[in-house]
Parts: sequence; C-alpha cells; structure tokens
Amino acid sequence: MTETLFIGLSLGSILLLIALGLTITYGAMGVINMAHGELVMIGAYTTVLASLHLGLNMFFALPLAFVVTAAVGLAIERVVVRRLYGRIIDTLLATWGVAIVLQQLVRLDLGLTFFGIDIPGLGPGLQNVSIPRVLAGSGSVFGIPIQPYRTFILGVTILLTALTWFLLYRTSLGSQVRAIMRNPQMAAACGIDVRRISAITFAYGSGLAGVAGVLLAGFRTVQPAMGATVVVDGFFVVVVGGVGSLLGTVLSAGLLGQINGIVAVLTNDILARAVVFGVVILLILWKPRGLFAFKGR
Amino acid sequence: MLTLEHVDSFYGRSHVLHDLSMHAPTEGIFAILGRNGVGKTTLLRTILGLTDRSEGTITLDGVELSAMVTHERARAGVAYVPQGRHIIPDFTIRENILMGGFAAKGQRRRIPDIVPELFPYLMENLDRPGGVLSGGQQQQLAIARALAAEPKVLLMDEPTEGIQPNIVEQIENAIIRLNKELRLTILLVEQNVGFARKAGHAFAMVEHGTVVAEGPIDGLTEDLVHKHMTI
Repeated sequence: MTETLFIGLSLGSILLLIALGLTITYGAMGVINMAHGELVMIGAYTTVLASLHLGLNMFFALPLAFVVTAAVGLAIERVVVRRLYGRIIDTLLATWGVAIVLQQLVRLDLGLTFFGIDIPGLGPGLQNVSIPRVLAGSGSVFGIPIQPYRTFILGVTILLTALTWFLLYRTSLGSQVRAIMRNPQMAAACGIDVRRISAITFAYGSGLAGVAGVLLAGFRTVQPAMGATVVVDGFFVVVVGGVGSLLGTVLSAGLLGQINGIVAVLTNDILARAVVFGVVILLILWKPRGLFAFKGR
Repeated sequence: MLTLEHVDSFYGRSHVLHDLSMHAPTEGIFAILGRNGVGKTTLLRTILGLTDRSEGTITLDGVELSAMVTHERARAGVAYVPQGRHIIPDFTIRENILMGGFAAKGQRRRIPDIVPELFPYLMENLDRPGGVLSGGQQQQLAIARALAAEPKVLLMDEPTEGIQPNIVEQIENAIIRLNKELRLTILLVEQNVGFARKAGHAFAMVEHGTVVAEGPIDGLTEDLVHKHMTI
C-alpha cells in the first residue's frame, strides 16, 4: 500500500511542477500557454543530449534544463506572447503553433535533417535516459520499501515548491507578481513594470516545466510528442486547484496524482485516466472556480 | 505644473476625451467638476496611460508623460487613488500600502511618516487583510498606498463618494493637509461643489469630454455650476 501511495506521490509531484508553471503564468498574465508541454519535452531532451554529448548525468541535467527551458520560455514570451496580451484566444492558438514548431524542430534535428546531418539524441525516434546508479533499484527504510528515484522526484518537487512559495510570498519580486495577478492596471499605476515582471514569471514557469521534463525522462520514454499528454494533466491540476493559488495547486496535484496512481495499480493506466477525467469533471461542476480561488481576474 | 495639450482618449472605438487642454498649477488643489459620464474619470486615467489609446501631450514639470508607459508615469511622480479604491482584499494592509512604494525613488518601500498621523486606524491593523476594512477605511488605505509612492501629483477620483459621513470629514481634512504639508499637487474629481470651493485653488469644468471652463476657484460661479452640473 505504501508503495502505491508513493507512486501516486511521485506522479503528483511531476504534475505539480508542470502545473505550478501554468498557474503562475495564467494567474499573472492571463496567458494559457499551449506550448508548456513542449517545454517539458525540451527539458527531457536536454537530459538526453546532456548525457549523450556532455556525459552529464541527471543531477547536472536538472539545473541545465531549468536554464535552457527558461531561456526558451523567455524567447516565446518576447516573440509571441508579449504581442498578444489580453487576447486569450489568440495567445492560445499562437502558443499551440509554437508547440508544433518546437515538436518539429526536435523531429527534424533542428532542421539539419535537410542537410543530411543527424544529431544523436534528436529525431523522431524514442530516446531513453538512464537514471544515476545511486537512484536506481530499490531499498528499504525501517522495513518500508523505498524507491530512491521516486523519493528523489518528491524531494526535488518539495524543494522547488518551497522555493516558489518563498519567491512569491517573501520577496519584492513576488509581491509584484501577486499584485499583477490581482489587478494589473493598479499594479502598473503603483509603478510595477508589468511587462518585465511578466517576462520573468513566464521564464520561471518555463524553467519549472523543464525540471519536470528531466524527472519525467527517468521513467518514461522521451519522444517529441510527450508534452501533449502531460500538459492536459497540468491544466486539470490548475483548474481543480484554482488559478493562481499555490496551496490549491499543491493539493490538487496530490489528489489527482494519488487517484491516478491508486487506480492504475489496482486496474490499469487507461482506466486510471478515465477516473481522473471523471473526478475533474465532478470537481469543476461542484466548484467552477477551483478549490482555492481568490477573487480576481 | 501638470499640463494637458489637445488630448484625445479612447476606450476601444469610443472616443471619450476630445481635444482636451488643461493646466493644473503646482502645489495646488485642482478641482475637476462636471456631470456623471462627461469623462472626468477617463481624464485621470489618461494622465496615467490607463485608457486603450490616447493622443496629445501631457507634461509634468516639463517632463513629457505622454511618451511613457503607465509604470514610468507612476515613477515620474503621479499617484492614483481610483474610484472604488481598488485595494487588494487578500493583501494585508501593510502589503497594500507598500505596493505603492514600487513607484518611489529607488523603489524604496516604506510607510510614509504622515500615514500614522492621518490614519491611525490603519497603523493599528497593519497585518489584517485589506478586504475586511469598511469603505471609508479602504479609501484611507488607497490614499496611504498612493502616498507610499512619494508622488508629486495625486489623482483622486471622488474620494468621499459612498463613504459614511464621519469618515468623509477625516478624508477631506487629510486632502487639505497633504496639499499644505507635503506640498502635493492634487487633482480632485469631485461632485461636491462646496468642498471644491473650500479646498480648491483652481478648477476645470468638463463637459462632453473636453474642458469648457478653467481658472482660479473664484471663477467657479453659480452660473457655471448651474449650466454644467445641474441635471
């Protein structure tokens, strides 16, 4: 039973990292980033490439992926999102386009396929990442079986959630982000540079997605379309938790992760997804604004 | 001196301000009067760049505001106390006040010295959420927030509208003190002609999105009030 709970917890952890990025960008900027899943995918590929070309293992890939995806996120914000503020449907379509472009870039080896050059680790095929030896296998503490890799996922997530909380609630940058979430016009009238803060927020959320990608690469096959499924789950978490609520996101990621984990162990993965869908539908019917919504946007 | 020259302002396709020119003298209280819906609020929002689009020139002490985006205008010394207060309900009173500090020089975020004198109630409740305050207290909070920006000009939109009578007087006295002691230029959108005459140094009468009369407060005659404010 503890093992099942643990599977749920680690699934929930990755969901949480994905959803945190989504909820702060949607909360602060009103932007639904359809390319968020592709940022997860880029994080996963960063792990693959770092190990193939630089000989770096997952521990080094984590910060590297954060930097790479944050930079990609910043570029998306500068080139696309910034020009479409306040136009939700347009941003949705445009970032979806970005998602397709990013997927194809990976499939086509950044376009080098056309010149007959192949980059090992990219391309349309499946990639595998081996997890560091320290984290492989399984151990036990006080007779309870513990999987080191799943524990590692949990640890990284707790650390990053705590960091996000600290940034949001204990720094001047965080006050500005929260002010923009509540009332962007008044925030600007109070001297807050809404665009700059939004760009930083977007980059940070993207970085979290990249980290989630690294962790995901440890137990799923890495392939160009992997982002599409995870982003759907990320949106579930955001909607159920309440947009812009850190606590709501944490609880809803835990809940959905557990349901997924438990049902998958008892029956199978497909039924688990169906149950998650069902629960999400019921929760949205019951609380359309999410479990922990503040009055705002 | 805050000047507006030939300003037009728009929300989407609706053209609200038409070729509006206005000159608010430094360190004075400048009353902006007129009926509902003539563009007084839009006028204040245009000064901060909060409408969808605007044309014309706005300058503050020779610095052109109209070329700047909103947060730069705030940092150039314009603070806003909007109608409806717009305080943030789940921020504490302290956080709400300090939010204004992002526009202060060097983003120095502190509670201004005059706030405890003007609004002792706020100081005694700094850690309570802003949302629990009454309308009048929220108005005081919005003023405190604007002061935290260490502004040169304060834009106030009907600061006593819909507020219980015992606090109205406190707020009116605060406005007069802020002008006298901090030498703030105050643009005051007001329906109460009595208070405008008592506190104001100069006025502008607005109709159909433009200024139809402007000058020292003595020029605010019964005739003008009758012509442009009675319904």
